[in-house]
Amino acid sequence: MRRAARWLAAHDRVRAWGLLAPGTLWLLAFFVLPVAIMGAYSAMERGLYGGVEPGFTLASYARFFDPLYLRILGRTLWLAALTTLLCVVIGYPVAYAIAGAGRWKHALLFLVVLPFWTSFLVRTYAIMFLLRDSGLVNSALLALSLIDEPLTLLYTPGAVLAGLVYGYLPFMVLPVYASLEKLDPALLEAAESLGARPVAGFLRVTLPLSLPGLVAGSLLVFIPSLGAFLTPDLLGGARQVMIGNLVQQQFGAGRDWPFGSAASFILMALVLAVVYVFLHRGAGALPEEVE
Amino acid sequence: MNAIRKIEAVIAELTSGGIDRREFLRRALAAGLGATTAGLLLDACGGSQDSGDPGGDRAGDGASGGADVPDVIEDRLAIYNWSDYVAEGTIPGFEEEFGVEVTYDTYESNEEMLAKLQAGAAGYDVVFPTGYIIEAMIAGGLLAPIRRELLTNWGNLSPIFLDPPFDPGNVHSVPYLWGMTGVAWRTDRVDAPPASWGVFQDDRWNGKMTMLDDARDVIAAFLKLNGFSINSTVPGELEAAKRDAIEAGTHIRAFVSAPVKGQLVSGDVWIAQLWDGDTRQAAVEEPAIAFALPREGAPIYADAMVIPRSAPHKRAAHAFMDYVLRPDVSAAISDATGYGTANAAARPRDPRPYPSAEELTRLEFARDLGEGTRLWDRIWTEIKAS
Amino acid sequence: MRRPPWWVAGLTAVTLCLLHLPIAVLIASSFNRSRFAMRWDGFTLDWYSRLLERGDILEALRASLVVALVSTLLATVFGTLIALGLARHAFPGRRIYQGLLYLPIVTPEIVVGISLLVLFATAGVTLGLGTITIAHVAFNISFVAVVVLARLHGNGRDLEEAAMDLGAGPLTTFFRVTLPQILPGVIAGALLAFTMSFDDFVITFFVAGVGSTTLPLLVYSMVRRGVEPTINAISTIILAVTTIAILIAYRLREGESS
Repeated sequence: MRRAARWLAAHDRVRAWGLLAPGTLWLLAFFVLPVAIMGAYSAMERGLYGGVEPGFTLASYARFFDPLYLRILGRTLWLAALTTLLCVVIGYPVAYAIAGAGRWKHALLFLVVLPFWTSFLVRTYAIMFLLRDSGLVNSALLALSLIDEPLTLLYTPGAVLAGLVYGYLPFMVLPVYASLEKLDPALLEAAESLGARPVAGFLRVTLPLSLPGLVAGSLLVFIPSLGAFLTPDLLGGARQVMIGNLVQQQFGAGRDWPFGSAASFILMALVLAVVYVFLHRGAGALPEEVE
Repeated sequence: MNAIRKIEAVIAELTSGGIDRREFLRRALAAGLGATTAGLLLDACGGSQDSGDPGGDRAGDGASGGADVPDVIEDRLAIYNWSDYVAEGTIPGFEEEFGVEVTYDTYESNEEMLAKLQAGAAGYDVVFPTGYIIEAMIAGGLLAPIRRELLTNWGNLSPIFLDPPFDPGNVHSVPYLWGMTGVAWRTDRVDAPPASWGVFQDDRWNGKMTMLDDARDVIAAFLKLNGFSINSTVPGELEAAKRDAIEAGTHIRAFVSAPVKGQLVSGDVWIAQLWDGDTRQAAVEEPAIAFALPREGAPIYADAMVIPRSAPHKRAAHAFMDYVLRPDVSAAISDATGYGTANAAARPRDPRPYPSAEELTRLEFARDLGEGTRLWDRIWTEIKAS
Repeated sequence: MRRPPWWVAGLTAVTLCLLHLPIAVLIASSFNRSRFAMRWDGFTLDWYSRLLERGDILEALRASLVVALVSTLLATVFGTLIALGLARHAFPGRRIYQGLLYLPIVTPEIVVGISLLVLFATAGVTLGLGTITIAHVAFNISFVAVVVLARLHGNGRDLEEAAMDLGAGPLTTFFRVTLPQILPGVIAGALLAFTMSFDDFVITFFVAGVGSTTLPLLVYSMVRRGVEPTINAISTIILAVTTIAILIAYRLREGESS
């Protein structure tokens, strides 16, 4: 046993694969394999009543390169980017506050996550209730005489944005918190004792060290929000068509599974490229040498 | 959750130094396997699937398919339906009388249900699709034929819904509830009943109108406005409808389906394209809501009961359908759901009169679009993204 | 980590309030007589008493909880292991693997759902709570791994090496040195995974079998008729129970440390 342990210690790769094996196998069987099936579908013929039929064709991919669909892709990227930016601006301070909250850390974390243990649908209905012309926000503003007429809040791109930010905030807060929480206060104290002011201390010590969390959070917000479809439907009145809506439609009334898969794969390829750039150059990158 | 206890115990022992590596590995492996297996076997203690059932609930199992209907009513039945689409007493009444254990699962979209069945999900005995989906299901070979002789109450059905275009001869479907798409409107805000689909292009109601988030209904409205069939796949006709729809898009607030009821009640929306049953539901809370059928005509929908080819309990399925066809049962369902029943012998407390002969000339059953689906889909995307 | 400046704390308080504003609406609606919850029609506890009649809602809640707990456990274990493997060991293809880890996050749910169904159907697997759990684990592994990786980044192995020099075996080192270090990341990842699993709809819809309805499936199918405030009632109860549980946990911890 001791010899095995020493052999393991010397062979880093084997240990690595030992750790990676269970999760990787699960992912291979229950993600990679099914999605590969979908990939095959994307190059097949569309079944008349849904499903697919045998026959190799790349027509579905070609179909995507059409101004209508490209515009939808563009709008999706734009909304997702805005959502990520807002989540950073709103979420980072929250994570910072929680990480420094001492005993109340876990309670505050739960407070951030708690709203999301209610049903997404009911939550979104509640947001609609707030944003409606006769909703709470407008009623409050009218009562305070800040406006004369109700503002059009619901069924606008702004409403979709608000809904997305609301829904993905924890995805930013949790990783940033995880990264900030381990920050050694001694580092900041050292900086201060060397004469750095608080702002400089933050910018040059805290922020860089929390960058991995920030990158992870940004990716965890940006990427899933690209696939959002319920939020644009409910809060945007189905007028803010995102890629998620397009894909959903293809497996539904559109009865074009190959096109739906093709659109998904194009999206996935795009995202992988973005992720690779981020990780290769950014601070989320794994170090060259293993520390 | 036994596995978690085991893991905790192991960790406790480990951290107190009272265990060696070999023992730890053995126990951790056992606990881990236990947890995994527990997870994978959850349906054994969770769902009501019977692994001993000869028909089997296995996904993709077509062995019980075909027209084979046993003589004896099975003791289980799996229903796949919309939510709240039966009366409260319907299922318990059936269970008691026939001694059948019923599972009632729900879906929220015809298309998603179709996709699920096409991808291979099996185990459901009775499903309640809408007409045009039934046509697709038949063409896709997903349905088993109905044994008419087993349905003693067949004669109760109204002739309007017999021999529909989407299932000639009712080989595969038994009509259930019906409805129309029209315009729900606030009588206290709008001066006259909306008489035409053109109301959605009327400046007077800008920002106070919505249409359904449904390609079939929206495009149908503008096809009718131009005098075409709601099942048209002629590019020229569809282009005309598209132009009108995009024009209407500058007047309407949003494409919303069922959730618009709340907005009608609250007065945020004054004119909404909506189904008649849903309009009635909203009118219960706000009596100033009425339903109007535009003069150009509209889609009429019939939901029907079908039996998937892979259904494991076909005899019980027939028994259930026959039970639903009883006048009292149909009446209760109609009252509970707010939709009209296809059962002419039923006497609901709040009857929904069938469309008059004149109205029937304006109403059209929605059919599957076949090759035209792709064109419709593209046009719908253009309308929404405009 | 030191105390935040007052304005950051203030911003946080405002954000948390805004975050809970829709929740307050949700809770208030559960006491509203009006079914569509669009106007206040009077206070009532009817929706709560109706919960007792709706066995299907309670059954769905139970199913959701079981699936969420088991899938979170498995996903957290697998995800943490992957994060450790990636961060701490060199092997060829490491960067590519890390990039590929984001694939489950970007793939639209309907694609994953339908393709998993096709897989299960072809393999003849019976659909049920088990298949739902399998699916949930699959998409949650990545989330956990990414969160824990963020935590591990820059974490040297010095402490571990020190421990081993002092004679600790690899497993003791893991449980007494590594795990405590990464625990906040693991907890954060587990919280995320539980939340995603508990509220998942699309994937669950396609891989659910007969009789294995989870709470989201039940709620979403109610859209057409209008989601009954009974759902608001059960959501309120879930919130109340969870809050009480956390308060109790805190009380116990305070009691221990004193």
